[in-house]
Amino acid sequence: MVGGVRVEFEELAKRFDLRVVFRGVSGRAEPGSVLVITGPNGSGKSTLMTILCGLVRPTRGTIRYLRAGGGEVPRHAWREHLGIVAPAMGLYGELDAMENLRFFSTVRGLGFDEERCRALLREVGLDPDRTTPVAGFSTGMHQRLKIAQAVLHEPEVLFLDEPGSNLDPAGQDWLEGLVERQREGGTTVILATNDRREMEWGTEHVALPG
Amino acid sequence: MWRFLAEAGAVFVKDLRTEFRTRVALNALGLFAVTTLAAVSYTIGPYRIAEADRPFLLSALLWIVIFFASMAGLDRSFVKEEDTQTAPLLRLSASPLVVWAGKLAFNLALLAVLMAILVPLYGMLMGFRPVSLWGFAGILAAGGYTLAVTTTMVAAIIARAMTRGALFSVLSLPLLLPLLIFVIQGTRAAAEGSPEGVMEALRAVISLGGIMTILSVVLFPAVWHE
Ligand SMILES: Nc1ncnc2c1ncn2[C@@H]1O[C@H](COP(=O)(O)OP(=O)(O)OP(=O)(O)O)[C@@H](O)[C@H]1O
Ligand SMILES: [Mg+2]
Repeated sequence: MVGGVRVEFEELAKRFDLRVVFRGVSGRAEPGSVLVITGPNGSGKSTLMTILCGLVRPTRGTIRYLRAGGGEVPRHAWREHLGIVAPAMGLYGELDAMENLRFFSTVRGLGFDEERCRALLREVGLDPDRTTPVAGFSTGMHQRLKIAQAVLHEPEVLFLDEPGSNLDPAGQDWLEGLVERQREGGTTVILATNDRREMEWGTEHVALPG
Repeated sequence: MWRFLAEAGAVFVKDLRTEFRTRVALNALGLFAVTTLAAVSYTIGPYRIAEADRPFLLSALLWIVIFFASMAGLDRSFVKEEDTQTAPLLRLSASPLVVWAGKLAFNLALLAVLMAILVPLYGMLMGFRPVSLWGFAGILAAGGYTLAVTTTMVAAIIARAMTRGALFSVLSLPLLLPLLIFVIQGTRAAAEGSPEGVMEALRAVISLGGIMTILSVVLFPAVWHE
């Protein structure tokens, strides 16, 4: 990875109709660090994640993706630098694990490196030769595949929204290792969670008041 | 360019695979086509219409069947991405135009399958034999493309508006009405064997298709992203 990407956000506010979810939220996530976002249920952690990755516009405030080597990444190009795991972001249930990875790899313009995808599936604990459609996966296996999808293209910024949900203890250990490796590799990790163990992975924290 | 085609092709293949495994759109299209075709051929049939009225009325009926069957199936592709929550990752992974092109290709394929089955069947059941077959084929191809490009765009708008069904028809109306009129005129001209009439309609349909293509390319990214 060359340099990495820093994510800065200032005075973010989000309102749905009349309901203010949060306001005045600021923070920065550096390459090689883990920014943990916490807050009670409904405080807007997931909303903040979708705003930071550019899917949803904030009602107020600014977000900037800054290259370590200088220069800002324009909004329309953010998606090329990020990967995300989030509860409300699903994979294709009719396709099997390999077909899902192949699809996301190809539309990202990376082509399809079968060996790499197989290795990645094995790494997240899935059988690359299994052709069951993802809809038939257990929730934990589905979660593992979502994580594989998020790191497939080795993004500089990794958003993890409750990444440990439905993972068994071994899966949680593996996730901890993954986050550590990503951080050491210079990835900017932004983690939304209320899990005590995951909160400890944070090097910086932003707490949403709720 | 190659890269664009490969990426759009991935969206197309993904939709095709999904469709083969669930057959949601094909069932909707097929069911609608078969029902309307059966109803039309049973209640009207080939001989209830006076000889002189046949080219016009049979052309109009054919396109009405194609239109409504396509309405039933083509609007699903984007709505499904939202319903199954796959839209966010697709938005973050693929560029907007890649998504548009892939979805358009899928709708074109679906419509081509529908027409390949429906049109010969209609010709047989209703005794519809256009004099100018090449003219008829041209109108079907150009009309099919324009129909697919229009419904693709409208379907994308609907998926975002989330109010679904009713709105789809309302939104499509100003876009599809002129198209419907031109393709019916063109099909009638082909049925009667009037090359000038076919050419005139073909020009109008192709212009509409061109306009819709340009409008889609310009507007789709804004519709697809917030
Ligand atoms: N598209 C939307 N339209 C209207 N309200 C929304 C929308 N998305 C989220 N909300 C509201 O915003 C608030 C924050 O939701 P969000 O999912 O971000 O919370 P969260 O902190 O992630 O909660 P949890 O801990 O349960 O995951 C909720 O009250 C939710 O109802
Ligand atoms: Mg949440």
